[in-house]
Amino acid sequence: MLKSRPSSDGGAATIQDSRRSFARAHAPPMTKRDAPREPLDTTTEIETPEHVRFRYHVAGPANRALAYLLDLLLRGGVLMVFGLLAALGGINAGEATKAAHGGVILLALFVLEWGYYVFFETIWSGRTPGKRVFHLRVVTEGGHPLRFGDSLLRNLLRAADFLPGAYAVGLLVMGRDARFRRLGDLAAGTIVVTEARHAVTARSRLDPPPTAAELRGLPQRLPLSGEELDAIDLFLRRVGRLAPAREEELAEMVAPLFARRVGGRYKSATRFLGLLHHRAHEHREKKSG
Amino acid sequence: MTTQRSQDEFVASRKRDWDELDALLGTGEPLHLKDGATISRVAALYRSLCTDLMRSRAARYTVDLASYLDALAGRAHATLYGAQPFHMPSLVALFRRDFPRALRANWRPFAVACALFFVPFLIGLLGALGSDELALKVLPGSVLEGMANAYSKGFDAGRDAGAGAGMAGFYVYNNVGIAFRCFATGILFGTGSLFFLLYNGLYTGVVAGYVMSAGHGANIWTFMCGHAPFELTAIVIAGGAGLQMGYSLVDTGGLTRTGSLRRAAPAITRQILGAGMMLLIAALIEGFWSPSSAPAPLKWAVSFVFTTLVVLYLALAGRGADRRRESASP
Repeated sequence: MLKSRPSSDGGAATIQDSRRSFARAHAPPMTKRDAPREPLDTTTEIETPEHVRFRYHVAGPANRALAYLLDLLLRGGVLMVFGLLAALGGINAGEATKAAHGGVILLALFVLEWGYYVFFETIWSGRTPGKRVFHLRVVTEGGHPLRFGDSLLRNLLRAADFLPGAYAVGLLVMGRDARFRRLGDLAAGTIVVTEARHAVTARSRLDPPPTAAELRGLPQRLPLSGEELDAIDLFLRRVGRLAPAREEELAEMVAPLFARRVGGRYKSATRFLGLLHHRAHEHREKKSG
Repeated sequence: MTTQRSQDEFVASRKRDWDELDALLGTGEPLHLKDGATISRVAALYRSLCTDLMRSRAARYTVDLASYLDALAGRAHATLYGAQPFHMPSLVALFRRDFPRALRANWRPFAVACALFFVPFLIGLLGALGSDELALKVLPGSVLEGMANAYSKGFDAGRDAGAGAGMAGFYVYNNVGIAFRCFATGILFGTGSLFFLLYNGLYTGVVAGYVMSAGHGANIWTFMCGHAPFELTAIVIAGGAGLQMGYSLVDTGGLTRTGSLRRAAPAITRQILGAGMMLLIAALIEGFWSPSSAPAPLKWAVSFVFTTLVVLYLALAGRGADRRRESASP
């Protein structure tokens, strides 16, 4: 190892050093990892051999804790059944059989503690019963299904994540990582993603329908970018699930900006964003028709 | 340029395919259990879905459509590219070849782990033989008394199979658990493995020394000699793998810490799997053979055979294949 390093007195080292200082002087300040910063979001992008990039939603600590608790209950239940069976069997049996039952319970405890996750994650491709209920799945960082070795490593390291109790180390590490990986995930190169099934909903419609008078004030072609229209769309999908005052408050944050740009006026900010949305899509439909 | 369709038209025209793919994927059963026609149908639907996903992004359709397609593509990708998660032949190859090789390639952390275990073991052993004071500082008197009592009886009575099974269960739970914890805590820059190796070495040494000074030395050594070759070696291997894991975080060789850890991961996994197998063997011996009423000379002879087997296995297994490969490639 030591031999392969450039010697400190050689010329190579100086060239490297000057190159490094050049880079330091001219490059924008890099983050600690020298990697392009990932956007602050809970998605991770995966590129497939078809050159399609799709996004996974990374599962957060809360969802994972719920899945963990469910698995814990399940494991406790299985252990209780074992204990009951052993107790029932031990009533009529002698001392020796009782000892054997104790051994069986400890063996079950061992299998449940160290083998439960590996077993289910291997046969169900990254899911345990708890993860299944909460639509979570463990995949590799490349988006590929988990294999036995990966699962073994990430689950053995639970012993380290659990320290000093209640997964304190694991939570701390997850909080520092953009993809919520605990130590086991870091070592095994895995992430936990959510597989919530989205439904395609019909496009949100303005209620009541826009009047001609309302639309007259808006230009045919809106000076809004695609991202801005996406943001409006996302907002309108939440309308109805928020308190009206909060809706108005949120809409008020951008409505004056857009109003200035389209040169219009509005009474209700929410309604105004709805009109903008309507105009944008009405335009698109006309174009296709 | 193709005419851009409205989102509703787009969804209406493609929805049937998406629903079909959704149904075929079901809850994510492995694809190889399905018939050929289904598999090629899933593949075709997945490819067209990829096109739809790109089109929906290019056309700036709404965000929920993109999320729906993303999620569906994710599930289809996971199913289609599903590697066989568990491969029996590779597990056999692991024990025949890959585990001893991984251990030999990483002999340094193993050697360090040996020193970290056996030096405190000797200190504890000699210290406890010398005076009870040191033993009492390490372990409470009641524990030591219990140990001494447990080994005060010989093995003439033996132990019946039921009790043997009971104890084997305990040894699996306790000893394999110790080894796994000794390994896993190595990720905290090696500190956990360091602690567990030192602690378990000292503990074992003190117990053996105390029982010997109480006059039952022959019993405890005759008991331990059967399973020790497997058990102590495996605990040291697990500790060494933990130390290696911790060291990969310190000396990253120019990679990020995570990258360095990932590079060391395959060798580490092989070692811990091997150690686990050895511990299971140890638990069986410890449950059934070690407490049996077999005469002491026989137990020592068996111990000698076991030790030779372990040493030969770790030192030689998997070397032949290496030679073949070397001769194949000049």
